[in-house]
Amino acid sequence: MGKEESPQITRRVTRLSSSTAVTNNEVEPEKITKPYKPTLNDFVSGGEQLSFNDLLSSFPARGNQIRELLRLLGPVNSPMLPLFVYGDPSTGKTSTILQIFRYLNRPFVYASCRTCYSLQILFESVLNQLLLHKKNAANGYSSAKRCVKPSDFVNFLREDLTSVIEKLRSLKKLGSNKPAGKPNGNMLYLIFDNLELIREWDKSSSALPFMFNLYDVLKMHEVGLIFISNTSPDTYYSNMGYTEHVPVYFPEYTEDDLRQILMKNQANRKLYSSFLDVVLRPFCRSTRRVDELSTAFSPLFRKYCEPLSDLASVPNEEMKRRLFSHFRPHIAPSLNEIFWVPSKSSTEAEINKDTRQKGSTRKPEVGDHFAQIDFHMSTSAKYLLISAFLASRNPATLDASLFDSTGGSDSRKRKRKASEKSMEQKEVAEQELLMKGPGTFPLERLLAIFQCITSAADSLDEEEHENDVLRVGGDCGLMSDVLLQLSSLCNANFIIKGGSCPLEGSTRYRSTVSEDLALKVARNLKFPLPNYLYRR
Amino acid sequence: MGIENLAEKAQILIRSRLCNPNFIFKPLSDSPDSNYSKLKFIISSSIMEACNNSILLLGPRGSGKVAVLELVLSDLLEEYPDTITVIRLNGLLHSEDNCAFKEIARQLCMEHHLLFSKMASFDDNSQFMIAMLRECGLAHKTVIFSLDEFDLFAQGKQRLLYSLLDAMQSVTSQAVVVGVSCRLDADQLLEKRVRSRFSHRKLLFLPPSKEDVQRLLEHILSLPMDSSLAHDYAAEFNEKLQSILADERFKEIISNYLNSYSTTNHLLRFLFIAISNMELKSGFLSLENFKAALSSIQRQPKQECIKDCSILELYILVCMKRLEIREQNSYNFSSVMKEYKSIHDSFPTSDYYAQNVCLRAFEHLLQRQLICFTDNRGHSQSIEFRQVKLVVSYAELQEGLKSYRSCPVSYSQNSTCF
Repeated sequence: MGKEESPQITRRVTRLSSSTAVTNNEVEPEKITKPYKPTLNDFVSGGEQLSFNDLLSSFPARGNQIRELLRLLGPVNSPMLPLFVYGDPSTGKTSTILQIFRYLNRPFVYASCRTCYSLQILFESVLNQLLLHKKNAANGYSSAKRCVKPSDFVNFLREDLTSVIEKLRSLKKLGSNKPAGKPNGNMLYLIFDNLELIREWDKSSSALPFMFNLYDVLKMHEVGLIFISNTSPDTYYSNMGYTEHVPVYFPEYTEDDLRQILMKNQANRKLYSSFLDVVLRPFCRSTRRVDELSTAFSPLFRKYCEPLSDLASVPNEEMKRRLFSHFRPHIAPSLNEIFWVPSKSSTEAEINKDTRQKGSTRKPEVGDHFAQIDFHMSTSAKYLLISAFLASRNPATLDASLFDSTGGSDSRKRKRKASEKSMEQKEVAEQELLMKGPGTFPLERLLAIFQCITSAADSLDEEEHENDVLRVGGDCGLMSDVLLQLSSLCNANFIIKGGSCPLEGSTRYRSTVSEDLALKVARNLKFPLPNYLYRR
Repeated sequence: MGIENLAEKAQILIRSRLCNPNFIFKPLSDSPDSNYSKLKFIISSSIMEACNNSILLLGPRGSGKVAVLELVLSDLLEEYPDTITVIRLNGLLHSEDNCAFKEIARQLCMEHHLLFSKMASFDDNSQFMIAMLRECGLAHKTVIFSLDEFDLFAQGKQRLLYSLLDAMQSVTSQAVVVGVSCRLDADQLLEKRVRSRFSHRKLLFLPPSKEDVQRLLEHILSLPMDSSLAHDYAAEFNEKLQSILADERFKEIISNYLNSYSTTNHLLRFLFIAISNMELKSGFLSLENFKAALSSIQRQPKQECIKDCSILELYILVCMKRLEIREQNSYNFSSVMKEYKSIHDSFPTSDYYAQNVCLRAFEHLLQRQLICFTDNRGHSQSIEFRQVKLVVSYAELQEGLKSYRSCPVSYSQNSTCF
């Protein structure tokens, strides 16, 4: 108990920064707090007093939820049953609750299961905050108390909460006239954010019931618990009977709400409103999340404003029409794009398509010169990519017939008349292919295919590859280089290293490249990929 | 004092009552055949006769097992102040044997003002416990072990239960073990050696009857006439409350709620919301408060989720549903995309998006748990090829589509023309 006597002279900033990190869609007015001694005042968010109207206006379309939460939190010093706040991501759960506490000026402790990614860290973070302990170099970034097991946590928590609440009580007796920034009341609220993440932790089967039963375990009326979750309460299955809390639901924003939110903090409201008239409806049909919409809109708005010389001008009807006709060709492609990476070679004529899974690259389909790809890759890496693609798509048994000395030319011989039964089989096989995804292959097969296609490519277009460094034909010296290329392709997530084969014991690989990308790379190399691809 | 001030005080009073289980279960415990009386009789007789005993309290979660036990314990502590030691364990916290023994040793040390060593080993702690039990027995002190979530102690080797119950077999010791569980088959989980040492006394906790609910409501919601609250206000509050309680519509609301959620805790939760809804301006409870509470507590999360979906996400759900209707049992994102394309081919709309946008919508659905992966294996596979299944029923999806405000026409066609 001797730990409270030596509080660190540091200001707690973590809470505010974490709150803005979690919900970055809402633009919170950044407030400047003067450095002060760590006292009980640390349990309130500080800053200037917020009025109820400010609170309402900072969260458009959240009035009902704010009122409901305020009602449930109740007047000062009223005990509370645990709340379960849920709603889709980016519906303003965390920021609303934190602002409400700022408005009420009541003491609280906030811990997010995203930053505290294990039970131990979560426990220690809560205890640190209660003890006003701050990790720094002086204490070797250690926590105030080491706490691994829930049983220890409950003992510590009870002890610390009692002392904090005791202090809050005495504080109230001392100062009858409350200056701003002093905590209000002697209830302490514990807020646990991102509760859904606990489901993926190691000990989730015991940790979740523990979290849900924390109120009953603690048996302290001066403690209010608030859980925030992305998913609804019915997704927390447990086999020990689920303790239900008071639900508070944050629905997804409607189109009008979205307009209000996006209009906030816009310099030229009229202009932005005319912009939203054009884009909001079509975009809302694919997603209604504020964070996704706002990231999609910021480059679009810049494009929309391009013809304008003066950004502060108020648009009239004629100008709106002009802007729209300029802007219209950009809407449809941007609808099919989920994130935008500025690329050096990007020109007006490009139709942008990105590959989300591949992460690192973005490949525009350029109208005429289709052989171009806009990311750099060595020729051997391209061949390797294609061979990995072939190895994943083609059945291993057909390798011999596809890659014999004559090249891919004889693959057409296996055509037969399509009977009823074979059509059916074909359909089943197609279905199977869809289900199974790309197949796996051992390293040896990849290298064999790589050798075959590079030698075939050499013989096919000798003249075009004259300056090419790639001369593989039986050259074993290149193998080490190829292996390096392979590992870099693995790192770029073009090829996934899968589990090892139970029979052979060697590692198996799997190509994640889509057919479009493979064909594009092949075109770039002038490699006749379709000839080698086995079509079922 | 203004009426708002009074109303706030009344609200705080009732809220603190709702959070205090001792207050709630007091009135239900006076009759001789209540669980309270039975439990008190069993424990106090074993204290008087200086014998060992064990008992299980069984009942659904939230039916007040622990509350009644705590009520009994607090009464007994008053009656026999120096002869009882209470050790409280919770299966959620102490299901590990090591941890449990440590906690027992810690609580015993606290109780008897001994020095507790954190470093003590499992063996030390268990021997300390047995020694303490003997000492307490010789001094005619009873140790009461309250084991919440009893079924969790029955996992694993059950060493704690065995050594506890085994120590109780001797004449010298004097202990009562009270297990609390919401599993009705909790005693079947015990090993043979433990079960043979356990007395098979059980107390069953049932949801409150209609009369009990009525009594509870009056007990919780009516204000005391002799407190700091103004007499006139309390009288008026109680009068209005009586008229609400007698109202047929109110009875309907309560029975409607208790049909689906029957335990006492559920009732408390409902009253908590109703009390929070009370208008401070008027200062009295109204029927509207209870109606609002009912609608805010009876949620249908799946339908809410479906309402939250964008058009594209609904398209994907409908595609999956169509696949299921065609009895295609296993499917993944790629086959859903194929279906999506075929829908679009037959009903061309503007809602045709590229694969990556669909994948994002698909991930949103996964996140909302409207769909989920069929197996947890195959993390190496990318999302497109992992098998998925719908977690919403057809009826829920149909309902959600119907209530969707801007539901496009082709949509409702799709969902009906299977």
